[in-house]
Amino acid sequence: MALLPYSIREQVASMRATWPSFGNQMVGEDAVVWRGPLKPLMRTYDIAITYRTDYVISGPRVRVISPPLTRLPDNPEGSLPHVYNRDRDPFMCLFDPAKYEWSGWDLISETTVPWAIDWLACYEFWLMTGIWEGGGRHPPLTGTRHNVENHR
Amino acid sequence: MNIRAFTGIDPFPDWADAILAQIAFNIQLPPSLHAKAVSRYEAVRRHLEATTFFADGIEHFYPQGSMAIDATISTRGTDDEYDIDIIAQLAAKYRQLGPLGVLKALEAALADYPVQMVIRQTRCVTLIYGDRMHLDISAAFREHGTQERRSHIMHAKGPNRSSEDCEVPTNAYGFVELYKARTPVETAVSDAFRRRWDDHDRLRADADVDDVPNQTPFVVKNMATLALQLVKRYRNITHDRKRRAGRMAPSILLADYASRSSSPGRTLSDALISLCNLLIADIRRASMLGRTLSVFNATWDQDEFTDRWPESIEQQNAFADDLLHLVTVVSLIREGKLDPVDVPNGLRRLFGDFVVTEAIRKTAQELGGNIQQGNQGYTRTGGILVPAAAAASTLAVSRAAAAPVSGSRHTFFGDPV
Repeated sequence: MALLPYSIREQVASMRATWPSFGNQMVGEDAVVWRGPLKPLMRTYDIAITYRTDYVISGPRVRVISPPLTRLPDNPEGSLPHVYNRDRDPFMCLFDPAKYEWSGWDLISETTVPWAIDWLACYEFWLMTGIWEGGGRHPPLTGTRHNVENHR
Repeated sequence: MNIRAFTGIDPFPDWADAILAQIAFNIQLPPSLHAKAVSRYEAVRRHLEATTFFADGIEHFYPQGSMAIDATISTRGTDDEYDIDIIAQLAAKYRQLGPLGVLKALEAALADYPVQMVIRQTRCVTLIYGDRMHLDISAAFREHGTQERRSHIMHAKGPNRSSEDCEVPTNAYGFVELYKARTPVETAVSDAFRRRWDDHDRLRADADVDDVPNQTPFVVKNMATLALQLVKRYRNITHDRKRRAGRMAPSILLADYASRSSSPGRTLSDALISLCNLLIADIRRASMLGRTLSVFNATWDQDEFTDRWPESIEQQNAFADDLLHLVTVVSLIREGKLDPVDVPNGLRRLFGDFVVTEAIRKTAQELGGNIQQGNQGYTRTGGILVPAAAAASTLAVSRAAAAPVSGSRHTFFGDPV
């Protein structure tokens, strides 16, 4: 493993090469927002991916800008499964922090974007069946991770 | 007849075709029932030949219609009834009995046959088995000296002779051969369904060790036949749901359109839409001219597929409207214009509750399983390919369209529920 995580500039270059339909906007020197379309199965989603140098452990934040995400009240997985900040401004939770599946030493183009596609595909079938078939786990109710991060 | 094979397209990597294909899979005649149907009609032939009346009097005993082109599906709204159509080609000596006499003789010969019920119909004698399989046996006389196997079947309502009793021209055998020639085997389709059946059979065997493994191969030949099965299923479901009286569009007519619209290499939804559009166009044209649809067997121009349906222009228009609805819903689904939440109910109204629920559940599980195993791939437009290897090998996804990123395992997490 390299000594330092990928820089924002390196992440941008890799995203441009792999997902050319995504545009990006730098926010100062240490943050970037990509916007672009993903069409996993049925629908095309406008996606925003936010990454900052201090997200090197927590990971990029992936939001669906449009169409609005549909919720299934009373679903056993929650009204919208596998997201943080479910009731306000949800963003996808694509990996289990306890398993160290992502860090800033990974390329967003090779992890976050494909995983967001996975999430959207599972989400579409979840809307049809009410069952999340993509696996994963939910933290216990006492979990406190991201209480801070949930504030934008 | 020389029958060619084409590669075709595996329908399962495309999500919309995967659901349609899984619905078609769920309504297939399983190999065990196919074998049972074959053994049953062979047993019926032996029974008839053992009777004094029909001894040495049966020249041919062969399946016609769906059974002969491997397009049998479960009937009506239920998921476990199957109709099997058989032609009993009789020696010419029986012809003097007249249509009603022949049907009654067949009925009498089968009167003590060990089935739940024996019913003489207008053109056949139906055997109803305890497991709800139906065997329709039509007596036919060959027109010797004509093209293989032009024949006449008997038409008589009974119970008494009538001036309307008649012999109806048919060449079921010739049509089957023509259908096979028009709808060649697509190996990617048949291989995909065979793999699916093997997996299904293995799961079933694991669940029930006493079950006898199927020895009969599972046969799905091409998209045209899958499309035909879906249209037949839709016709049955719609007829019941709308509580329509009267006859349904005959299966042989739909098979004729399936074969005429067949074009190897199509996707399943394309094959389905093409079949429907060809039939809709012909019905609309006939209605515009103030006529009912008139379609004849290409292997005998006296064998009319539309002799009992449509009974009126209104009836054919209603069916054309039904088909248009099918085309509309399938188009909306595959173009992603239907909200995913509404997709299950949209499909259930077309093909019935159980088979659709099962098909979506199975497709969802396969997608989720592949994601959990990291077996997925991606397209440059953000599409998912599952499993990546199978999807990449289909003609639908060119190498240039695939994203240079492979699937990897990860664990969805999130806020507490």
